[in-house]
Amino acid sequence: MLKIENISKDLGEFKLEDVSLEIEQGEYMVILGPTGAGKTIILETVAGIYPPDSGRIELNGGEITFADPKDRNISMVYQDFMLFPHLSVFENIAFGLTLKKIPQDELEKKVSEVAEIMGISHLLHRSVTNLSGGEKQRTAISRAIVLEPDVLLLDEPLSALDGRTRERLRKELKRLHTRYKTTVLHVTHNFEEVFSLADRVAVINKGRIIQTGVPDQVFSKPESHFIAEFVGSENIFRGRITSGSGCSVISVDGLKIVSNATGLEGEAYASVRPEDILLSREPLKTPARNSFEGAVESVTNNGTMVEIRIDAGIPFVTVLTRRGFHDIGIKEGDAVYLTFKAAAVHVFS
Amino acid sequence: MRRLFIGAGAVLSLFIVVILLMIVLHPSPGVLISSIFSDEITFAIWLSIATSVTSTLLCILVAVPASYALARYSFSGRNIINTILDMPLALPPIVAGVGLLLFFSQTPVGMALAAAGIEFVFTPLGIVIAQFFVNLPFMVRIMRSTFQSINPRYEHVARTLGCSEFQALWRVTFPMAKDGFLAGTVITWARGMGEFGAALMVAGATKMKTESLPVAVFLNMSTGNLDVATSAAAILIVIAVLSLYVFERFGGSSKL
Repeated sequence: MLKIENISKDLGEFKLEDVSLEIEQGEYMVILGPTGAGKTIILETVAGIYPPDSGRIELNGGEITFADPKDRNISMVYQDFMLFPHLSVFENIAFGLTLKKIPQDELEKKVSEVAEIMGISHLLHRSVTNLSGGEKQRTAISRAIVLEPDVLLLDEPLSALDGRTRERLRKELKRLHTRYKTTVLHVTHNFEEVFSLADRVAVINKGRIIQTGVPDQVFSKPESHFIAEFVGSENIFRGRITSGSGCSVISVDGLKIVSNATGLEGEAYASVRPEDILLSREPLKTPARNSFEGAVESVTNNGTMVEIRIDAGIPFVTVLTRRGFHDIGIKEGDAVYLTFKAAAVHVFS
Repeated sequence: MRRLFIGAGAVLSLFIVVILLMIVLHPSPGVLISSIFSDEITFAIWLSIATSVTSTLLCILVAVPASYALARYSFSGRNIINTILDMPLALPPIVAGVGLLLFFSQTPVGMALAAAGIEFVFTPLGIVIAQFFVNLPFMVRIMRSTFQSINPRYEHVARTLGCSEFQALWRVTFPMAKDGFLAGTVITWARGMGEFGAALMVAGATKMKTESLPVAVFLNMSTGNLDVATSAAAILIVIAVLSLYVFERFGGSSKL
């Protein structure tokens, strides 16, 4: 288990403030945050590149806060690969093993095993300078995992790759983790990676961890305005909330949105995920507590999903599958009804 | 306008070529060969090579760690050190030479060194120290820009793979810096071969004692011995052309 306790580090440009995280043995933890949030420093502090200003780090019960990086058995992969340009693919992968002075035949066996798994066996003799992005990142990952690290740190490992390569390598990471159960700490600003890879996610902003949990929980119940906005539930409203016994009502520009009882009073945010909103041409007869009339403002087809923006006094965004969009047959300017349950409204302040 | 400006460049290039050819073609090939193999020029060649190689090694020894620190570490006083290290670049070499002469002849440090038998004033050692002082900034600047162009994350990765800090430097950063290092070394050495002003002040211009190649040009010009002077100058031109080629070929991202 990797235990990060109250780590603070000020590097001037970037900083960490009182960061605590616990990553279980074999867990895939994703740290999600915008650019400049301090994601990379967390990894570099765990790797031992920077000693923290305060706090402590424990790995499998032993303290490693100030241990030399070479003694931690933690490997790191950067977004821009950082392959050693003066070495071949083989020499890059073998770099760590060479330092351990293991016998040549064992070294060769390990390198070719990993290269096989990562699908780069045919590249071993090549120079690293003219590989494709995907091949470079496979080499970098091979170089890290060939040492069988206790923790694998991945710093935006997919961000420098094009769409299809990214998709493929993401599946590869999933497969690797399922197979080896290595403890992984993966930072990204892309939440698709969270859904496809993470056992748990930690959201970071301005050097602080602001929420940790399983992805569904964090995405459906964001605990702050920042997270709600960042994770893309774009229906975020600010209003006055009054709480009764059975429910709370948030009044946003005269529109009353009903949520489950929260006990909150005063100013608050309400968020509704676009996919939780039902869209219809006629008012629906359902027990759902929220139903508003509005006009279709725009329709954006982005391939698999269709995003529809509706003006109901306040702006809503909903999504339909292409099939659903076809069935309902609406266009810009049409009058529609929005319906969602009180339970779909997430309130936070 | 385009033609006029290109013409200006062309005229200037032509002027440079003519000047160089004036020197190289002045002595007849026979005279050139016999001058080069004369005792005086042979001595000057060896003295220049010995002093410039020594001063270049000293420059490497100081400049590599110093420029690494300036490129990688942030510490208070870094900007001041950067500026001071660049200072000799802007200083006329002869002024640097006066300072060095005063330091080695009049300060307790200089006198103590002389008393210990390490004599700089009017000796070949003076040439070495003058070359070192004047050329160090070149080596520092080239190595600094070379190290700055190498992402420190290469070392970070190397350290997570089992390198100590020094091993990461040795196995990753140095190999990646080798072109800049080669370019810097050649430029520093070539400048050492040609160093005149500062060396003249510290080591003087004693025939067959502190007579480096540039000093040989100077002494023989003053005595009207044009053939010998231009032969020494021709050698310096060849060195300049070769070193410029190496610098352009390997300099890459490093900047002066």
